[in-house]
Amino acid sequence: MMATLSASDPLVAEYDQLLPVLTVDGPAGFEEIRAAAIRRYRESGIPTTRDEEFKYTPLHALTESKYRFGYGANLGREDVSGLLLGDLDAITVVFVNGQFAPDLSSTDSLPNGAFIGAFSKATGFEDEIRSALGSIAHFNDRLGSTNDLRFVDLNTAYLGDGTLVFLEKNVAVERPIHIVHVVSASDVAALSFPRNLIVLGENAEAKVVESYVTFAGNGVTIPVTEVRLAASARLEHNRVQNESLASTHIANVFVDQATTSVYTSNNINFGASVSRCDINAYVGGEHCETWLNSANVATGSQIIDNHTRIDHALPNCQSFEVYKSILKDSGVGVFNGKIFVYEDAQKTDAKQTNQAILLSPTATMNTKPQLEIFADDVKCTHGATIGQLREDALFYLRARGIPLSEAQGLLVYAFAAEVLEKITIDEVREKLEAALFEKLGS
Amino acid sequence: MLTIKDLTARVEEKEILKGINLTINPGEVHAIMGPNGSGKSTLASILAGRSDYEVTGGSVELFGEDLLELEPDERAAEGLFLAFQYPVEIPGVTNTYFLRSAINAIRKYHGLEDMPPKEFMALVKEKAALMELDPAMLSRSVNEGFSGGEKKRNEIFQMAMLNPKLCVLDETDSGLDIDALKVVAKGVNALRGGDRGILVITHYQRLLDYIVPDFVHVLMDGRIVKSGGKELALELEGKGYDFIKDELAAKA
Repeated sequence: MMATLSASDPLVAEYDQLLPVLTVDGPAGFEEIRAAAIRRYRESGIPTTRDEEFKYTPLHALTESKYRFGYGANLGREDVSGLLLGDLDAITVVFVNGQFAPDLSSTDSLPNGAFIGAFSKATGFEDEIRSALGSIAHFNDRLGSTNDLRFVDLNTAYLGDGTLVFLEKNVAVERPIHIVHVVSASDVAALSFPRNLIVLGENAEAKVVESYVTFAGNGVTIPVTEVRLAASARLEHNRVQNESLASTHIANVFVDQATTSVYTSNNINFGASVSRCDINAYVGGEHCETWLNSANVATGSQIIDNHTRIDHALPNCQSFEVYKSILKDSGVGVFNGKIFVYEDAQKTDAKQTNQAILLSPTATMNTKPQLEIFADDVKCTHGATIGQLREDALFYLRARGIPLSEAQGLLVYAFAAEVLEKITIDEVREKLEAALFEKLGS
Repeated sequence: MLTIKDLTARVEEKEILKGINLTINPGEVHAIMGPNGSGKSTLASILAGRSDYEVTGGSVELFGEDLLELEPDERAAEGLFLAFQYPVEIPGVTNTYFLRSAINAIRKYHGLEDMPPKEFMALVKEKAALMELDPAMLSRSVNEGFSGGEKKRNEIFQMAMLNPKLCVLDETDSGLDIDALKVVAKGVNALRGGDRGILVITHYQRLLDYIVPDFVHVLMDGRIVKSGGKELALELEGKGYDFIKDELAAKA
């Protein structure tokens, strides 16, 4: 499609004026990459619901609503600490409307061989950034053109400052690493393009929390996170999206795994009007583990859309995927789970589960497991269930004296809590459990 | 305490209970025995308030109050406890959380404050020891991955925790080996006495060796056809249910 978008496309309306700022704050040597990305974006534009991958993701907010590129805002520590996970005890990197906020961040006392902070402060790590940034998202073109990368291109076109988590070989960071993206807008929503790069060397280990929250107003947030795990590296990647309820959030996560690495994603989506998150994992080594867990709650007219893709390229790997959605009122849930098992990937063990609970007759779930298996000696299972609360469990609770509404609340909570239990940072898990309880009660 | 009069009930179009009459006084232990399909579990389910059954006639009163008008949770709060034949697994809800919710819901019903956490934990410890439950099971999800015996012990553990006035045990002996049966019986016997009423529903006499009833009733084809003392259970064990069928045929 050659629909040439005019300068009135609000996603790129101010692009030419912004480019100098992006170039100054962003990592050096990305001029051509940005130029190629904006060119591709301008050729293709944003997807519509006629595109298979965006069938259930209405994006008219991007063409009809008022928003503009926001860059920074004056927030104090107390403004951030009141937000969900805002006071987490962690190594913290904060961005406000896409701009690095050094006063709100705390990245001191890092172990040797670790850099955690903004690209703009990552002196001495230019080569690490240059070799990883963008190439992970495109998996070095190993997937060909099978992924829809239009929002990735848009994010890359706006490549400015971002977050780098870099651990050398054998470095384990025990404290949680918290990457916070705050939106602070007035009556016009703030457009931002967060970019995160997590590179763990051989046998390195970290727990990252990537959170998206709103201080004021609404956001149009289009983040890209790239993860590269060298051999035997282990990452717990908690992603929490709790933006204000009229926000638009379209995220892409790319994970590149080498031999015996372990990647765990706990993907939690409670916020935004339209929330879309694609997680793509390319398992390019043997004996890897890939865990994708997700809890989603849509109330009112929220749409929460999750796409996952796991490419099993080599033998003897395991992937376990559990995606759960709770849908209230007119909430809409979407799940599309692709698993590709390549011809060489014998002894792959892949298990995918998608479960949804509908709490009202007007709630909707669209689920589509998609397994493509080209190897013959593999174990691949998938299951999708969409339903109401189990009558037998409700009766059992009531037979013990628990009133109906409380019994329903308990079962809904338990359904999602099973996913939250996978988060090993106690403080994060407990705060999310409380947030879940509050969201379901409202 | 419990008075059942001419109770009739059906599932869909099938008449299952055809006129049950039964009175349990405070402190009494009753057993209802009967072959498969006689309506035993239907009776237990109706008492607890399961909605799959339609009561078509008769009445059930608990302490003079119309039991059938109460919601299942209200029945529990009024002191009725059903030990399930098939305890339900509830992933994501720990045993402890579940019990605390149940105890506090019942206390709230009676206008009482929540049980202090210390008192609750002491009670859990005492009753878990009685039922020989591994403390690790308490932090596991309700019945999830429990063996058949563990599930039944967990039922009686809950019963001991909730301290009901009337206990209904629905085929609690099914699927138990003799050791588990003894633990279950020990738990039930510990609750025996005072004003507490107990109704044991079973197919086999075996459980009644350990929980010795004051009264035994035989349920066949939706009616109680014979009542007697504990010796009736032994007679049934020896002769099978057919001898009662023969008796009934002779009378007719």
